[in-house]
Amino acid sequence: MDAAQAVHEKFLAALAEGRLPGRGDAPDPGAIGLSRADATDIFLSQLTSRQMDRLSRALQARGEGFYTIGSSGHEGNAAVAAALRVTDMAFLHYRSNAFQLHRARQRPGGTPTWDMLLSFAASSEDPISGGRHKVIGSKPLNIPPQTSTIASHLPKAVGAAFSIGIARRLGMDDLPLPGDAVVLASFGDASANHSTAQGAFNTAGWAAHQGTPMPLVFLCEDNGIGISTRTPAGWIEAQFRQRAGLHYIQCDGTDLAAAYRGAKEAADYARRTRRPVFLHMGTVRLYGHAGSDVQGAYLPKALIEADEARDPLLKGAALMIEQGWMSAAEITGAYDEIGATLARQAEAAILRPKITTAAGVMASLVPPKRDVARSNSPADDDRKAMFGSDWGQMDKPMHMARLLSWALADLMLAHKEIVVAGEDVGPKGGVYNVTAKLHQRFGSARVINTLLDEQAILGLAIGMAHNGFVPMPEIQFLAYVHNAEDQIRGEAATLSFFSDGQYANPMVIRIAGLGYQKGFGGHFHNDNSLAVFRDIPGLVLAVPSNGRDAVAMLRECVRLAREEQRVVVFVEPIALYMTRDLHEEGDGLWTSIYEAPGEGTPIRLGDVGIHGDGTDLAIVTYGNGYYLSRQAEKLLAADGIQARVIDLRWLGPVDEEKLVVAVGDAKRILIVDECRITGSQSEALMATFAERTPDKKFARIAADDSFIPLGKAATLTLPSRDSIVAAAKELLA
Amino acid sequence: MSGRKTAIVVAPGRGTYGKSELGSIARLHGQRFADAIAGFDAERRDRGQPTVTELDGADRFSVATHMRGDVAAPLIYTATALDYLSIDREAYDIAATLGNSMGWYSALALGGAVSIADGFRIANAMGLNSQTHGPGGQILMQVVDDDWRPVPGLRDTLLDMVAAIDARADHALALSIDLAGMLVLAGNEEGLAALLAEAPPTPGRDPLRLAGHGPFHTPLMAGSSQKAKAELPPSLFARPALPMVDGRGHIWRRFSSDPLQMWDYSFGHQILAPYDFALSVQVAVKEFAPQAIILPGPGDTLGGAIAQALIGIEWQGMKSKADFMARQASDPILLSMGRTEQRALVTGDK
Repeated sequence: MDAAQAVHEKFLAALAEGRLPGRGDAPDPGAIGLSRADATDIFLSQLTSRQMDRLSRALQARGEGFYTIGSSGHEGNAAVAAALRVTDMAFLHYRSNAFQLHRARQRPGGTPTWDMLLSFAASSEDPISGGRHKVIGSKPLNIPPQTSTIASHLPKAVGAAFSIGIARRLGMDDLPLPGDAVVLASFGDASANHSTAQGAFNTAGWAAHQGTPMPLVFLCEDNGIGISTRTPAGWIEAQFRQRAGLHYIQCDGTDLAAAYRGAKEAADYARRTRRPVFLHMGTVRLYGHAGSDVQGAYLPKALIEADEARDPLLKGAALMIEQGWMSAAEITGAYDEIGATLARQAEAAILRPKITTAAGVMASLVPPKRDVARSNSPADDDRKAMFGSDWGQMDKPMHMARLLSWALADLMLAHKEIVVAGEDVGPKGGVYNVTAKLHQRFGSARVINTLLDEQAILGLAIGMAHNGFVPMPEIQFLAYVHNAEDQIRGEAATLSFFSDGQYANPMVIRIAGLGYQKGFGGHFHNDNSLAVFRDIPGLVLAVPSNGRDAVAMLRECVRLAREEQRVVVFVEPIALYMTRDLHEEGDGLWTSIYEAPGEGTPIRLGDVGIHGDGTDLAIVTYGNGYYLSRQAEKLLAADGIQARVIDLRWLGPVDEEKLVVAVGDAKRILIVDECRITGSQSEALMATFAERTPDKKFARIAADDSFIPLGKAATLTLPSRDSIVAAAKELLA
Repeated sequence: MSGRKTAIVVAPGRGTYGKSELGSIARLHGQRFADAIAGFDAERRDRGQPTVTELDGADRFSVATHMRGDVAAPLIYTATALDYLSIDREAYDIAATLGNSMGWYSALALGGAVSIADGFRIANAMGLNSQTHGPGGQILMQVVDDDWRPVPGLRDTLLDMVAAIDARADHALALSIDLAGMLVLAGNEEGLAALLAEAPPTPGRDPLRLAGHGPFHTPLMAGSSQKAKAELPPSLFARPALPMVDGRGHIWRRFSSDPLQMWDYSFGHQILAPYDFALSVQVAVKEFAPQAIILPGPGDTLGGAIAQALIGIEWQGMKSKADFMARQASDPILLSMGRTEQRALVTGDK
């Protein structure tokens, strides 16, 4: 017999035969402030969640439903929802149907079962994902959708909780999360082991340890197994009962009153003390991991039966009968009626429209634009006061690092919702001084020194963005983003897509990177691959090559984040931070005078930079490649070759139209790419020119597929001024 | 599975017992429900009010008399409740009840949250009590075109205007009832006058001031709310026998609904805040997926609003009045008991 059917029949038989389990030392509802109405309502939500699981399997068997990872055995979640407020943002994992169904009871006018059935059926009317994915989520219920199976949503939950304290410190009271909100993040006992989850526990504890507000409930739904691998007995408790910074609470999720008591205690503690809680809720996983999983293949029968005996519905029924709130016959009747109602709803839901075009699927890759508060356009006097002694330097040419630091200061002055966060960005001013003086100018609430964990930094940004901030996290070196790339790829970039554009996490991630540092650092400080960002739909990738552009582009990136809710990666070429000269020492050609906000020509997304109008050759490049190509261009000119040098500036997305226009009537095209050739931008550019300008001859020069060595060997694998000159001549020969 | 259809029942509100309904209570229910009617009459007589039988049996329909709250409400309640009791329960399983405005009191009785007799007491008391308010009333404005599709921007324009007028000194104006294709706006005389003077042209007939109606579902009804809570005790309420969908779209579930909370909602929020009838219909069809929507009498005028609410969510593919009419002609989803042929489908009477 189908496992779901077996559990269903056992429930009905237990009711019919009066064989319900005792509730042990589970509390009397009245003693814990749980009214008859509230307890019964939780129980009804649990029954609904269960019937929905059964229905999801039936729909899948008919080819009408597309998701069978159920919530059966985890219905204690309904009690957790009852213990929280609808304004407490909840980042839920995938066995949380009962939570969402029951939270909807707090907000009249919703249609939670209909909505969930639309998502089972992948209808474009599914109000959270628009039919793109089966997710637990709801905009009005403050449940951002998660697709994570590996607890990768925990770092952003930490960020969202952290943002509540920051908002209070800054006196910002118009944000999505109220000042007394608590954030909930749920996950299973298996994913609690994931390094991402561990990082989040560590970050929350690290913050709490030093008194930073962190009103957060980590809800570990411990069903004792992850797919087929059992969690060692007692492992979760052993790990978390004494964990630094976390307050541990245990409850039995199979009894709704016990679950409510634990969840209430956790929520109250987090709200009152603004410290993180680890709520360890015992659950059972009924009928396997998902519809396709036959747990009899790897679990002993006795164990499966023992789990089935702990079915939360049995204890819920026992409670109802014990209190005289529902009879066994009434429970059976209600359960059947819920099933029949859901079945009728499902027949209607499967007829609702589906997404039928690729454009429909992709419509929410980029979030919608939004109306934002105008910047406060600081007066010159305010700027002067902020800049202090720097004010007198502003008419002097400066290198990129200084210009960027001033641009950041101006942006933070104009937009109070911008926060900067990263390792050493505070009083030290960052490794390269780009965040210099920001801490002194804007304080520790807006210039946040983080712990050494890139997942935490990006999670902080994502979570803060959920609460209305525009974070500008800094990753110290490009090579360090790789340990945390999923926070961009799997989380930040997907949020709009999976929420049909209703949720967004606008941010500008600044990353110092790329090669050519003179003999410093080796690979990890000179990493030269941007491939990790190039295939992420919707992501904006900016790489400035000089200080003037960097300022204009950074302002455009912030505009894109604020007004268009985009996730932006801004890669700053380290080797060009302090570069002042182009052709010879002292020429100062790579410096510029700082343009105040509103001054100078803006650089919009997709705008390319063009130097020269030579028609013999167009060199298409970016970053350090642009700098070297400008050197090469002078040498080529001396040899009678007239070249133009095109700076892509924006690598994701490349505006091909503008690029082709920029190439114009140049006869040949040389692509110069400082990144490793495999996966580099040059690959795409070669394809672009093959498609768009097949009559022109084109070639490329890129870095070798190697890691960067130390010392004088550091640039041997990279394009150089001279190799560019040679490649150009070869192309023209 | 039984061959019964699942239905939801929508109780109509004020303005539904008109000239053509005069005498309908006696005609439709006089014999079968003589006892119930006698009970209602006794309640009225005890209070020194003309009886339902007398009012229904009047020689002619009088707007001045029959449209007044203390007369209209008990007539409407009686027609609704007795129609409900006439539904062929061998043919229909009732999944949920809901109502429009005063119809909420009927829905409470149909859903079993109060007895049929107490439902009459409530409707009767509220009919009188709802006249407890300062100067003001309701205006009906249409926001859909002839095919029952929204006129782009009109609803938002009106609601923005309502908020702006309400913000003026001495003006009170608010949304009272959302009827999908129509908005009922309520306020004091200053607010209503400003609305009539400033509102853009709306489709259909001119904005209509509803005779005998107060500024229902606005804070101007605070006196009515206090009076209701004082004279209608929570003990009238019990857990419902059926789910009920209220004017916020909230579902009062069987077993878990707290009588005290239902009482508090019915005589508090329900009286003082907008009644979103359109949403209540939409929630009911989505969450109960009925095969039929039964509209008990009196009359059938609420049918348009129900249809417009369905069209608003493209329920079962209906996107316009034409779609709805076609559906009604082939396999009616809305069964109005005020229409003879549809009534027969509901009651099973030949």
